Amino acid sequence: MKKLFLILGISMISFTSCDKFLDINENPNQPTAVNVDLVLPTAIVRAASLSVSYSSYGGHLAGQIANAGGFSGFGAMLTYRFTPGYYSQWESAYDNLNDLQYVIDNTEGDNYMALFNGVAKIMTALEFHRLVDQHGDIPFTEGVKGNQNVAPRYDDDMEIYQALIDRIDEGLTVINNASFPKNLGAASDPLFKGDINKWKQFANTLKLRLLIRMSGVSALSSFVNQKFAALEKNFLTDDALVNPGYVKDRPNPTWSTWGYTTTGNVATSSRVPTYFIYGFYDGNKLVDPGRGSVIFNDFGNASRPTPLNQLGNEVGNPPIRTGYSPWYTGIRESASSITDALGVVKGPSQGQPLMLAAESYFLQAEAQLKGFIPGDAKTSFENGIKASFRYLYKTVAGTVAADKNVDADFQKYKDDNSISYLVNFDEATTDEERLEAIITQKYIALNMITAEESWNDYRRTGYPKHDIAGNRYYNMASVTSEASTPDKLPTILKYPQSEYDYNPENVKDLNVFGDKVFWAK
Amino acid sequence: MHMRKMLFASVLFLLFALPAIAQRVLTGKVTDSNGDPIPNASVMARGTRVGTVTGQDGTFSLNLPPNAKALEISIIGYETQVVTIGASNTYNVTLVESGDELGEVVVTAGGILVKRRELGVVATSITPTQITQGKASNFAASLSGRVPGLQVNAVNGGLNPNYRLVLRGQRSITGNNQALLVLDNLIVPNNLLGNLNPEDIEDIQVLNGAAAAAAYGSDASNGAIVITTKKGKKGRSAIKVSQTTTLEKVSYYPQLQNKFGSGTTPDAVKTYTPYENQQYGPRFDGSMVEIGKPLEDGSIQRIPYSPTNARKEFWETGIQNQTDIALESGDDKSTFYLAGQFFAQKSTVPKDRYERMSVRANGTRNIYDNFKVTYTANYISNRYDMTTVTGSMYNEILMTPAHIPLTKYQNWRTDPFANPNGYFNEYYDNPYWSIDNWRQDTKNEYFQGNVQLEYKPFKPLTLTYRVGVSSSNAQNKSKVGRFVFSDYTKSISGSSKTDVAGSVSDSRSGSRQLVTELISEYRKKLGSNFELYVLGAGYMRENQSKNVGVSANGLVIDDLYNVSNTMNNPGASESNSLSRQLAVRGEVRLGFKDYLFLHMTARNDWTSVLEKLNRSFFYPSVDVSFIATDAISALQNLSWLNTLKIRAAYAYVGNVNLGAYALNTTFSQAVGYPYGGAAGYSVGGGLVAAGLKPEITEGPEVGIDFEAWDRKIQGGVTYYKTNTYNQTMSVSISRASGYSSLLTNVGEVQNTGLETFLRFTPIQNKNGLSMTIGANYALNRNKVISLADEFDVFNLASGGGGLVVAEVGHPFPLLKTTKYTRDPQGRVIVDRVTGFPSYDGSYYIKGTTNPPHIMGVDFELLYKGFRLSTIFEYRTGNYILNAVSTEFDFSGAGIRTVWFNRERFVFPNSSYEDPTRPGEYIANTNIQTRSGGADFWTDATRNRGVGENYTHSAAFWKMRELVLSYDLPSKFLGSTIKKATISAQGRNLFIWVPKTNLYTDPEYSHFGSSSNAIGFTTLSQTPPARYFGGTISLTF
Repeated sequence: MKKLFLILGISMISFTSCDKFLDINENPNQPTAVNVDLVLPTAIVRAASLSVSYSSYGGHLAGQIANAGGFSGFGAMLTYRFTPGYYSQWESAYDNLNDLQYVIDNTEGDNYMALFNGVAKIMTALEFHRLVDQHGDIPFTEGVKGNQNVAPRYDDDMEIYQALIDRIDEGLTVINNASFPKNLGAASDPLFKGDINKWKQFANTLKLRLLIRMSGVSALSSFVNQKFAALEKNFLTDDALVNPGYVKDRPNPTWSTWGYTTTGNVATSSRVPTYFIYGFYDGNKLVDPGRGSVIFNDFGNASRPTPLNQLGNEVGNPPIRTGYSPWYTGIRESASSITDALGVVKGPSQGQPLMLAAESYFLQAEAQLKGFIPGDAKTSFENGIKASFRYLYKTVAGTVAADKNVDADFQKYKDDNSISYLVNFDEATTDEERLEAIITQKYIALNMITAEESWNDYRRTGYPKHDIAGNRYYNMASVTSEASTPDKLPTILKYPQSEYDYNPENVKDLNVFGDKVFWAK
Repeated sequence: MHMRKMLFASVLFLLFALPAIAQRVLTGKVTDSNGDPIPNASVMARGTRVGTVTGQDGTFSLNLPPNAKALEISIIGYETQVVTIGASNTYNVTLVESGDELGEVVVTAGGILVKRRELGVVATSITPTQITQGKASNFAASLSGRVPGLQVNAVNGGLNPNYRLVLRGQRSITGNNQALLVLDNLIVPNNLLGNLNPEDIEDIQVLNGAAAAAAYGSDASNGAIVITTKKGKKGRSAIKVSQTTTLEKVSYYPQLQNKFGSGTTPDAVKTYTPYENQQYGPRFDGSMVEIGKPLEDGSIQRIPYSPTNARKEFWETGIQNQTDIALESGDDKSTFYLAGQFFAQKSTVPKDRYERMSVRANGTRNIYDNFKVTYTANYISNRYDMTTVTGSMYNEILMTPAHIPLTKYQNWRTDPFANPNGYFNEYYDNPYWSIDNWRQDTKNEYFQGNVQLEYKPFKPLTLTYRVGVSSSNAQNKSKVGRFVFSDYTKSISGSSKTDVAGSVSDSRSGSRQLVTELISEYRKKLGSNFELYVLGAGYMRENQSKNVGVSANGLVIDDLYNVSNTMNNPGASESNSLSRQLAVRGEVRLGFKDYLFLHMTARNDWTSVLEKLNRSFFYPSVDVSFIATDAISALQNLSWLNTLKIRAAYAYVGNVNLGAYALNTTFSQAVGYPYGGAAGYSVGGGLVAAGLKPEITEGPEVGIDFEAWDRKIQGGVTYYKTNTYNQTMSVSISRASGYSSLLTNVGEVQNTGLETFLRFTPIQNKNGLSMTIGANYALNRNKVISLADEFDVFNLASGGGGLVVAEVGHPFPLLKTTKYTRDPQGRVIVDRVTGFPSYDGSYYIKGTTNPPHIMGVDFELLYKGFRLSTIFEYRTGNYILNAVSTEFDFSGAGIRTVWFNRERFVFPNSSYEDPTRPGEYIANTNIQTRSGGADFWTDATRNRGVGENYTHSAAFWKMRELVLSYDLPSKFLGSTIKKATISAQGRNLFIWVPKTNLYTDPEYSHFGSSSNAIGFTTLSQTPPARYFGGTISLTF
C-alpha cells in the first residue's frame, strides 16, 4: 500500500511540473501578428482586385457586358431579380477593410508610421463608398470592430458619405502633419510607390468624386459647398494604377478575369460586349476607331465581326471567337504564346486601375460646369478624353505605345464626330447637354475599367441616354428585364445572405426595383 | 485410520472379488469450442468425491472409483458437462461457453478487465466470427445492425469505402461525433479504421456511453470502440490459411428514363440534336440517326435510335481477393501470434484499384512469475490507384442519352470517335477519357506498435506500464494530362472545348501518435462482505503531424508528371502540428457480497491546445451495478428467471474539439502574394473567443439486463440522456465585423434514447442443432437546446434546394428544403395561365437526417458443422436530399422527366387563385402546364430548384450479411489438417427502400465520414454495390 502511494505521488509531481511540456501551442504554420508594412500592400492590391469585380457589376448593369451564345442559366443576370448578395462585393470589401483597420489600429498616433496610417484611412473611404453605392445604408461606425461587435448596426448612407469626407481629411491631416515619418516604398505601396503627392491627389480626387455625388442632394448643400471651398485643387493627372509586380502566373486581375487564365484559356467565355457600348465606337452612335480597335477583338472587321449581343437575348446570340476574349486585341498563337496588347485587356503584367486620370478630369469638368471649383469645363472635358486615349494606348509597361499618337487621334475623333456635342463640347447648347457630354464621355472612358462609376453616374444623372423603346444600340436594359422601374433597370443590390442570417436584428430588406442610394435620382 | 482401512478393504475387495472390473485410469482432454485447451477445469467422478483438475494443456488423468457412472466437467464460464462412462478409457470433452453473461470478463475503458456483474454501464461484445464472417475489408462494416445505439454509415462506395461510426446520436454540432477508437488498450487515430486487418481482431467491446468511456476524459464524449487483437494461446499451435474471393456488383442504380434521346431546350417541337447531352429530343423509334458532329475527314457515326443499357454496363464487376495466413503458438512462458494479409480490390469504376498488405506480430512472455510483457506490432501498407473526378465522370455517364453506345468509347487514344476531339457530346467529356486523364496514386503506410509490462510486486498490487505508437505516412500524386483540342474541333465547337493545361501535384504527409500510461491497481477483500479495487494512473499523449505539398499547373512535356515540368512557378504548401495531453486518473470499485458494486472514476486532463488558464479539466463519473437475483431471495425462487441486473451511471466527460494552434487569428499571403520578392499578408477571417473550453457531455444512463428460461432468453434495456454544452463552434458572424467567423463555446444539444436487445435460443439440441435469433432496437431523440445569442439556426451544408442545419428546438441535423407555394389546403398553387407551379426560395423544415429508429435482426443456425447466419438492419424516421437528382432532371435522364410522357400535364393536387376573389383558390383539374418537357423539368423555379422534389424518407431495410459455412468433418481431413472450413458469404445483398427513393443508398453522405452534415448525396458517390464471395480456410 505504501508503495502504491509512493508511485502515485511521483507521477503526480512529475505531472504538475509539466507546464513547459504543454507550452507548445505556438503556430509554426502561419503568423499570428505581422508588421503593417506587409499588410498595407495586400490591402491595396485587394482593393485593385475588387475594382475588377465592381467594374464587372457596373458593366453588366450599365449596358457594357452581355451574355454570349453557348451558355444558358444566367437567371438574375438577365431578369435583374437579384437575390441577396447578387453582384455584392460586401464580403470581400469588409475583409479588405479589416486589413486596412489592422494598419490603422497598429499605427494610430505613431508619428513614424503616419504615412501608413494616413494612406490606410484614405483607402477605407474608397472601400466604404463603393459599398454604400451598392447597398445604401451599411455598418460604418460599428463596423470592422472584430470581437467588439459581431453584429454591427447600420448607418444612414448620407451620414456615411459625410463621415467619409472627414475620414479622407483625417488621413490627409495625418500625412501633412507627419515629421520624418517612415516612407512608403515600392513594396509597401504598390499604388504610388511612395509618392505622397500622388496620394494627396488621389485623396482629393476621391473627395471630388464623393462631393459631386452629394451635390445633387439639397439637404447637403451647405456641407458640400463648405467642403468644395476647402478642397485642395490638386487632382490626379495620371492613372492610379496598382501594380505589385503582376506576372504571368500571378496576373493582373483584369487580365485573369477578361483575358486569359494562367494556363492560357479564355477566362470568361460566356460574355460579349453589347451593341449599346459598341455603338459609341462603330459609328452607330459615335465614330471612334482609335479606341475601339484597341479595346475590341476584330473591331471593324466586316468579315469576322466582334461578337455582340444585347443583354438578355438568348436567341441566335454569338459565342466568343474560339480562343479569343472579345476584349483582347493581341495575338494568341497557343496557350503558352499570348502576346501583350493595348486597350483594356493588355497583358498579365498590366497595372490595375483604381481610378483613371480621365475620371479625374471629367469630375473636374462637372464641378467646373456646376461652379463648385474654378476652371474651364471644356479644357477638363477634352483632357478627360485625351487621358482616356492615353490609358488605352498604354502598353503593359504603362507608357503610350510608340505607334500611337494621342493628340492626333483625339483630333481625328473630334473631326469624325464634328456635329456631336458628346465629343465636341462647343456643340452643346445647354448645361444639360454639357453634363450629358461629360457623363457620356466618362462612360466611354471607364468602359470595362471602373464601370461601376458609370452605373453610379447613370443612376445619379440618367446619362448616357437609355431608351427602353429604342433599338439595341440605344437600350441598355436586358430584353428579359423583370424590373418594374420605368427604365427597366434595378436601383440597388440586396445585402448578402450572410447579413440576413447572422445580423438579422440590423439588416433590412431592400427592394431592388425601388430603393435607392441617397444620391440617386 | 478407519477410512484408510475401508479403502484398503475396498481395494482388496476389488482386486479379488471383482477382478473383471479392475480399477481404471481415465485420461482425456478438455477443450473449448475453438479446440483450445481449458486448464484448471474440474473433472469429478459423479456421485463420488474423487476428482482432479486439468493441466495447462487441458489434459487430465483420473483414477476412477468403481461405482462411478459418469464424469462431471465444470469450470466457471462454461456449461457444466456430464459424460457417461463407457468402455473407453479416453474422454475428450469440449465445453460450451456458459451463457452466464454475468461471469464473462470484459475489457473496459483503460484496458481494465472486469466481470460483467461489476459493470454499471452498457458494453456490447462482438466476437471474431461476427467480425470476419462477411469478409468485409473494413471491420466497421461488420458492426452494422449488431450493437444497439451504434450507427454505422457507409458514406460512399468505390475503393475501401469510408465508414462513419456514431454512438447514441450526434452530440456535437460541428465537432467530432465519431466513436473513439482504442486498439490494444491505447487510443489510435481514426484513420486506422479502414486499414486494420479484421482477421487480427480477437474481441471488440462497444462502450456506448460517456459513462462507459469516462476513463478517457477529454476524449470520452463519443463512447469508445475497444478492440483487442489476437494473442497465441498456451499449449496450442496452429497455422491458418485462407483465401477469399469476393465479387462486387452495382446493385442500386438511379432510375433513368429510356424513352427519349438527344434534344434540348426549348422543346415546343421535339427536335433531335446529334451532339446534345440533354435528353429532351424525340421519342426513340429505332431509326438510324447520326450522333456527334462530323470528324475532320467528314466521317460521322450512325446508330439506331433506340435505348441501350450502356449506362449500367459502364460499371464493371469489382473483384476482391483476400489471402490470410496466421500462425500461433504458446507455452507456459510465452505465446505468439503472427499474421499476414493481402487484400486486392478492383473497383466497379474501370481502372480503379486498391491493395492492402498487413503484417502483425503479437506476443506475450512471462519473464518472471510476477512480471509479464505483452507486445504487438502491426505494419500496414496500402495503395490507391484511382480517378480524381468520380463526380464528373458519373455526371458524364448520366448525361449520356440512352441510345449512345457508351461502352464503345474506351479506346480514346486510337478511336477517333472516342477521342475528345471526336466525342459525340458537345458539352461533356468521354468518361473513359476522364478516368484516364485525371488520376491519383496514393500510398499509405501505417505502423502501430504497443508494449505492455505488467508487474505484480506483491499480492494485491499490479503495476502496468504501456507505451504505444501509431504512425502513418502518405504519399500522394495527382495527375492531369495535357490535352490540346484540334483547330478543327475548336472551329466547330466554339468555346465548349477548352484545352486542358495539365497539372501535377505531389504531397507527403505523416503523423505520429505516442501514448504512454502507467497504471497501478490494488485489489483487496475487506472482511467477508466487501471487496475493494483502487486504480491510479498517469497518462501522456503526443500527436504530431506534417504535410508538405508541391503542385504545378500547365505542363510542358506530355505525360511527364513531375512538378518541375511546368511553364509556371510550382506552388508549395506546408503544415505542421504538435499537441500534447497529460492526465491523471483514479478509479475505485467497492463490491458488496458480489452483488452490489459502486464504481467511481475521476480524471484530470491538461491539454496543450487550450489556453494556459483553461487547459486543466476534471471529469468524474459514477456507476452502480446490482445483481437483484443474487441479492433478493424472492427472485431466486422464480424458476424462470436466471439473472437480473440493474445498473445506473452518471458521467461528466469532455471532447476537445479543437486542433493545435486554433486560438489566434492567423495571417496569410493573399491576392497573389508574394510578387517578385515583395511579401504581403492579410488578416484571416477567423476570430477566436478568449478562454475556450472543451465541450462537455453529461448525463445519466440506467438499465437492466436479464436472462431467463435457462438462459434461452437474454435481454437488456438502457435509457440514457446526455446534454452536450460548451460546444466549440466556429459560428458565422456578420462580415461587416471584418471577420467571417467566431470560434466560441456556444450551443447545447440534448440526446435521449433507449437501447434494447433480446436474444432467443429456441433450439439447442444435444446433437448439435442450435438456432439463435437476436434483435436489437435503438431509439435516439435529439434536440438543439440553444445556439448563439445572435441566431438560432446554424447552417452545416447546403445544395440542391436544401440545407442541413442545427436549429434551436429541433432535432439535429435538420433538413430544410425549398417547397412549392401552396394554398391553405396544401395544394400547389399554379399560374392560371401557364399552369406552372412556383416557389418562393424559402427553406422549410423537413425533418432530421439522422435515423431516430435503428433495428437490427440476426439469425444463426448451427447443425453438424453447418452454420447459416444472417443479419438485417432497418432504419427509419429520417430524410435525405438527393442533390444528384437535379442533374438527372437537367439532362433529362431522370425518370421523373417522363412521368407525364413529356406531354403537357395538370400539376397533381394543384389549385389556382380565383381571379375574382383573390386569396381564394380553385382546384385545378384542367389547366395544363405550358410545357411538359425541358421547359418544365430543367427550370429551376418550376422543378429543379424545389428541394422537396428530391427529398424523401431515408428509411431502408438491408440484408447486411448472409453467410453459409461448413466445417469439413475430421474424418475427411488428413492428420495434418486440423480444421477445414468453406463458406459462401454475401454483404448488402438486398436493400428495400420506399418507392419515393429513386436515387441511391440513403446511408451515403456527400461530405464524407468526418462531417456531421449527413443527409445529402451527390454524384461523388458511385452507385452502391452488393458483394458476394467464397472462402476456403484451413487450419494446420
